[in-house]
Amino acid sequence: MIYDEYVTQIEGHGRIWFDIKDGKVDVRLEIHEGSRLFESFLRGRRADEVPQMSSRICGVCPVPHNLAAIQALENAMGIEASEQVKMLRRLMIASQMVHSHALHLYVLAAADYLGVNGISDVYAKYPEAVKRCVRIRTVGNKGVEVIGGRAVHPANSVPGGFAKLPTRIEMEKLAKDFKGIMNDCIETFNLFASLKYPEFERATEYLAIDDGKHFPSYAGRLVTNKGLNVEAKEYRNYIKEIFKPYSNTKFCILNGHGFHVGAIARINLFKNRLNPVAKDLLKSSPVKFPSDNPFHNNLAQAIEMVHYTEEAIQIAEELAVKLKDEERPKQTKASTGVGVVEAPRGTLIHEYTVDKDGIVRGANLIIPTGMNTTNIEEDLYAILTANIKKPREELKKLAELLFRAYDPCLSCSTH
Amino acid sequence: MKPKVAIFDLTDCEGCEVQIVNSKFIDRILGGVEFVNFRLGQRVNRWDDFDVAFVEGAVITSEELELVKKIREHSKLVIALGSCACFGGIASINNFLDINEGKKYVYGENADKIEFLYIKPLPEIIKVDFMIRGCPIATEDFERVVSDLFAGRIPKEHTRPVCMDCKSKGNPCQLLKGVACAGPVAYGGCGAPCPTAGMPCDGCRGPLEDPQTTAELELLKKIASKDDIVRLFRKFAPMAPIFKDIGGGKL
Repeated sequence: MIYDEYVTQIEGHGRIWFDIKDGKVDVRLEIHEGSRLFESFLRGRRADEVPQMSSRICGVCPVPHNLAAIQALENAMGIEASEQVKMLRRLMIASQMVHSHALHLYVLAAADYLGVNGISDVYAKYPEAVKRCVRIRTVGNKGVEVIGGRAVHPANSVPGGFAKLPTRIEMEKLAKDFKGIMNDCIETFNLFASLKYPEFERATEYLAIDDGKHFPSYAGRLVTNKGLNVEAKEYRNYIKEIFKPYSNTKFCILNGHGFHVGAIARINLFKNRLNPVAKDLLKSSPVKFPSDNPFHNNLAQAIEMVHYTEEAIQIAEELAVKLKDEERPKQTKASTGVGVVEAPRGTLIHEYTVDKDGIVRGANLIIPTGMNTTNIEEDLYAILTANIKKPREELKKLAELLFRAYDPCLSCSTH
Repeated sequence: MKPKVAIFDLTDCEGCEVQIVNSKFIDRILGGVEFVNFRLGQRVNRWDDFDVAFVEGAVITSEELELVKKIREHSKLVIALGSCACFGGIASINNFLDINEGKKYVYGENADKIEFLYIKPLPEIIKVDFMIRGCPIATEDFERVVSDLFAGRIPKEHTRPVCMDCKSKGNPCQLLKGVACAGPVAYGGCGAPCPTAGMPCDGCRGPLEDPQTTAELELLKKIASKDDIVRLFRKFAPMAPIFKDIGGGKL
């Protein structure tokens, strides 16, 4: 049977099934995206090819998959990347955040709020907004390409560092390019701050990574607003995956309940670590953070676009004067390692076991949208219950709008 | 009248659709075609007849199998977008493995509730009018095909090995460095981003027409283990002709 009810303007195939009987809501987040079984077929592959393969989990956010894999493999193989390599990786993540958020905000989310059918209508009515999106995305892609060798699916980013390093001149040019989109990012914030978001609140637990210094990006401990603060490699003790017969994506729970990762979680937890321009914008925002309204994830993404653009400028400017050639460190041990980075859609965990010949023997991947699934279902239940008197069509639209605000990626979550 | 266009994604990473958005033709496309069915880009989608349907991804579920047949019935032209559609893509590595063991590894006791069809490339399931290869597709390829379609032409194959792209970039040869590289037998036109970034070509665009496979394998056997040669061809285009045999262990 072919379903025509898949939620539109999200990455991957999922639908929201709901029923209302005797004043009680029953709701399911049904994810039908095919399972590619990455964890299985990555076994037997060489550690130096795995990051390129893991990146294929997602074409929208290839960078975090590439980097979470690398970090996990390095931990497994006893490889310590240099500070310069870590800076380049943070610059890749910043670039990825900027272009992924722009894609979600303008191409997927905007049509709803502007009251039109889709991206073609957004373009017809607001060509300037789409051109702004293209300008922002071009620079975000450029950042990944200059360092990783290709925008979608970085080609040269491997355990230990990079097969080829960018040049200082390229870094200087990149800093200039990011400066060139700063106004566009601020305009994006202004646009998304002017929108009226549905009124809805539900307190939940927000999770992001903390390296003790930066706004969440590359590596760190797992922390939440409810006091969780543990090493990433202990994730299995806290985050559990549950199989539901209606979904190819496994649902995650944290200490038995739903939790939320992504832009809103990062801002709720670490708004004090935002860069200066982003911090000022946040002060002027009509919406206050921390927020328990999941629709505000869109505004959080717009704030992050400004923050990560600032971050990209800082790192690129620093590397433009001090980038130097380095030897790539080699494997020193065989064990199991965990890698954790922030993807646009939230905290991403990769875990691999590597043998002494550098061959991967085991893999486990916990994906941001998989982490959000339980929370999404809990939110859907709450919002449908709160609006139970409304006509079914209206409820369906509201439920889909809420689901979309999470910027879900079902290709990722099922992998 | 604007051409009626549909874009469908099956099971995959959707990176090829991202490449469409990354294309410098994006405004020409948004302004120049009518999207009749494009789930990723709009709310209301119809099953009118399409002039062109782009299909991305691999057929992994029976629903997708049914869907691609329906797409074929509704579209004058069907264009396979990216190596998942053209050659099974990365997920078709599973075709060479014990799928039940794989499902069990990922889903444990619930393995039998997960559907996973043996992945066939799209052209083995329905008639495909043109393939835009690559993992991901190159934006330049997409732009060339769109230019042809706007001009009313059926796009043509431009077959040349990745080595030609690589040489024109002035890269040092990976094979001469002793690294197993699929470049000599791989379908070029991508601009050789991987060798340019210091990595070998892994043949994501499948084989070129009439490749010198025997010579390539002779060369590879001198510098790489059998396992590494199998891994090289069983990666992003595992079900492509020739690659399927090498990736299956026929060296």
